[in-house]
Amino acid sequence: MTRDELNAHRLIKEAHEANARLHSRRHFLKESAMGLGALAMGSLLGSCGNLFSGKQTKIAYDPAHPLLPKSPPLVGKAKSVIYLHMAGAPSQLELFDFKPELMKMDGQDCPPSLLAGKKFAFITGVPKMLGPQATFAKHGQSGSLVSDNLPHFSTLVDEVTFLKAVKTDQFNHAPAQLLVHTGSPRLGRPSMGSWVTYGLGSENQNLPGYVVLTSGGSFPDAGKSVWGSGFLPSVYQGVQCRSEGDPVLFIKDPEGMNRDLRKASIEAINKANEQQYQEYNDPEILSRIAQYEMAYRMQISAPEVMNINDEPAYIHEMYGTQPGKACFANNVLLARKLVEKGVRYIQLFDWGWDAHGDNPNNSLNIGLKNKCRSIDRPITALLLDLKQRGLLEETLVVWGGEFGRTPMMENRNGIQNPFKGRDHHTEAFTIWMAGGGIKKGFTHGETDEIGYSAISGKVDAFDIQATILNQLGFDHEQFTYPFQGRPFRLTDVAGKVIREVVA
Amino acid sequence: MLEFFGRFHPVFVHLPIGILILACICILLSFKAKFAGLKPAIPLMLLFGALSAIISCFTGYFLANSGDYEGDLVSNHQWMGISVAILSVILSVIYKKVQSKAILGAFATLLAILISVTGHLGGSLTHGSDYLTAPLKSGAAKDGSAIPPIPNVQEAFVYQNAIQPLLKNRCYSCHGSEKQKGKLRLDQEAYILKGGENGPTLVKGKADESELIKRILLPLNDEDHMAPKEKPQLTTNEIALLKWWINNDADFKKKFKDLPQTAEIKPVLAGLQKGENAEGEVKNSEIAAEEVSAADDKVLKKLAEAGIIVVPVAQNTNYLSANFVNAQSMDKDVLALLKSIDKQLLWLKLENSKVNDQALAAIKGCKNLSRLSLNNTAITDAGLAQLKDLDQLQSLSLVGTKVSFKGITELKKLKNLKFLYLYQTHISKTDLAAIKRLLPKTSLDTGNYSVPMLAQDTVVVKAP
Repeated sequence: MTRDELNAHRLIKEAHEANARLHSRRHFLKESAMGLGALAMGSLLGSCGNLFSGKQTKIAYDPAHPLLPKSPPLVGKAKSVIYLHMAGAPSQLELFDFKPELMKMDGQDCPPSLLAGKKFAFITGVPKMLGPQATFAKHGQSGSLVSDNLPHFSTLVDEVTFLKAVKTDQFNHAPAQLLVHTGSPRLGRPSMGSWVTYGLGSENQNLPGYVVLTSGGSFPDAGKSVWGSGFLPSVYQGVQCRSEGDPVLFIKDPEGMNRDLRKASIEAINKANEQQYQEYNDPEILSRIAQYEMAYRMQISAPEVMNINDEPAYIHEMYGTQPGKACFANNVLLARKLVEKGVRYIQLFDWGWDAHGDNPNNSLNIGLKNKCRSIDRPITALLLDLKQRGLLEETLVVWGGEFGRTPMMENRNGIQNPFKGRDHHTEAFTIWMAGGGIKKGFTHGETDEIGYSAISGKVDAFDIQATILNQLGFDHEQFTYPFQGRPFRLTDVAGKVIREVVA
Repeated sequence: MLEFFGRFHPVFVHLPIGILILACICILLSFKAKFAGLKPAIPLMLLFGALSAIISCFTGYFLANSGDYEGDLVSNHQWMGISVAILSVILSVIYKKVQSKAILGAFATLLAILISVTGHLGGSLTHGSDYLTAPLKSGAAKDGSAIPPIPNVQEAFVYQNAIQPLLKNRCYSCHGSEKQKGKLRLDQEAYILKGGENGPTLVKGKADESELIKRILLPLNDEDHMAPKEKPQLTTNEIALLKWWINNDADFKKKFKDLPQTAEIKPVLAGLQKGENAEGEVKNSEIAAEEVSAADDKVLKKLAEAGIIVVPVAQNTNYLSANFVNAQSMDKDVLALLKSIDKQLLWLKLENSKVNDQALAAIKGCKNLSRLSLNNTAITDAGLAQLKDLDQLQSLSLVGTKVSFKGITELKKLKNLKFLYLYQTHISKTDLAAIKRLLPKTSLDTGNYSVPMLAQDTVVVKAP
């Protein structure tokens, strides 16, 4: 035998072996046992289904068309969500939660009662109290307090509901972000956007249903898991898009590949996948086929929708965009365009709000002010623009961080930081919501006189998730997915809809 | 300690029920030659049955003495239970000695009846006396709301017509005439005022200090939360009503109109009139009370093939939402299909589509349509004339179209219109005042918002 013949022989043998492995006795037993077991289990569960799943929301999951729009169990007030997450956790004490008492205590040693038994991310020993580093005023008819860090946004307080007593139990960025978006501080749970697109699909079949846009020069600390699909079918994970360059990486056909060739190759791949599906019956293969098809359609539709350059100049001016750059303002404008095009869930992350005071960019008087300036105009423009297009009624906008910041000035390792800054704080922080059937010009919850802890209207991440799902037409307690032998919920075993803020 | 053993009573009672009933059945069956083989097992069954019945009596006695129970039902249950125990002991003793089928048969039948009655009484104690028959009655408690609708709220009595039914449906099963958990009864004025073992229930005029309200507002997982986690919970409106009643001195005689009504309580009272105090009953005012027939599946399928996905607005309704964002065309066929679902259409999004004035004729008969978006389409005033009879329309979006004041006058009959979006249309400032007169209840949004440039907007703060 020549060398070539030998190689060919080896290849054929390998192929035979691979094929035989699929038809081995063990494989047969495994498949048939699994099949029989599944049948038996299915009929068993089916017969007692009414006992424990009678009230649960039924989601018709079609792996071949995973993103087709679906009806929520109840009529929802909101159809889509824009979640603006300020990664790093903005200081509520410099933005919305005005504490004159804290000003009086500025520079004094922190009373021991606030430190006993508490753990902080960085504070050790006895830190000094730090008064508000911004000037506050009442705005609008609702008289909501907003600091001079957000002069534009403060004109819109009558459109917004403030949740001033949000609480968390995680004082590190990554777990706290995961808790806000996936309902668990640990990795592996599906994110809220995945749940929502799983439950509702998306209106536009040529775009992803769940889009993620990041700015600020860095990803959120929790990484991409914070928009992951966990145990839900992978088609529901967030699709990261960009507002500069190609909207989605590798969306253009490569050099030398034209549209027809692309179509032919995707068809060939899908054919192979279909054969694979015939053999294994794994629904994930069908989602993969659907994803290839959507990717092909997206090549046409995405560049058009995700190009913010075709917006008129006055809109760009309104949002304060920076053409050609990756920035929050561009992402916010893109978010509005996507909502208009029927995208279900748009998640923005803007990094750089972690004002510890360890360097100028992380300080309350310098970095935070610059960050505020970079979002003030875009968020104001977003609310106004959605409103004038008749979209704010059915779009829920949420703004917030993963936790709050301490009323004490940070003293890392017992030494005062060189700039004014605050440590991570879990007891109370502010989140606001607007549109989507949420009350206008309303404040829920309040903190004590120095903004250390919540004294009324206390809510947590689960309550906020329950409320968001409620606005979309879901009962969070019945919206479940079976995994590892038990039904899972976004809110797990907690969460209560914040009825006070529902209009 | 004895009370601890008492708590085993609800678990333990199932033994005598099961064993003795089985023994009775076996006795009756064993009279037939075919089942004579059962005979040797019967003495053993009777022995175990009698023993477990005696233990149940003791545990039951301890439980009754814990003070949570009082009244006729308990004593009936107690004496019936004791009779079961005595009868089962007698039967167990005489079984081998008596040969008469008639005597044994009579004993067995009597025992079975006694057990059934005792068991039923016990069940009524645990679950409430109307537990068994509740599903047969078309009562108020069935649909989740504890207070039956009140025809004329202002003339009704606060306690008698609202608070009492509320307490009855939410509290009596544990704090009523049959059972008094924590030595508390809530079924009569005197008992309510007296309170339970932890003190008074109410502080008149101070709802927040009242134990009743405090316990209701505890977190669901708190041991002292009322109603217990596994029982139906009070709704937000019901809590608001209770608080309002206590804050107004918890009067047992006054009518609704006699108490001051704050802005917060008014919607709750209005809900009482319509029977809408149940939780989650966010009555969507967009959906008409009567349900429409389901749309033809074939029509929906054909629309989907044309890229127009039409789905019910919620799983429990036939009203539809349609979005043309992926529509491939707007030809005659599509319009005919749209026309055939005009009764069901509730929300319709035609923005950026090829819809024109003629095509709008297809939705002329959408009598239930509540939201319509025609943003950025070729619609003109002529098109708006097609909408003049859509009197359920609540939100109409005409952003980026050529409509003018003349077209809007066609909408004057749309009395339910709440929102009208007119950004980037041919409506001038002077037209606006006229439109306001035409549609006084509609909120008009002409957009054109801008965010002014402030000096601060360009200042980058730098480190000193």
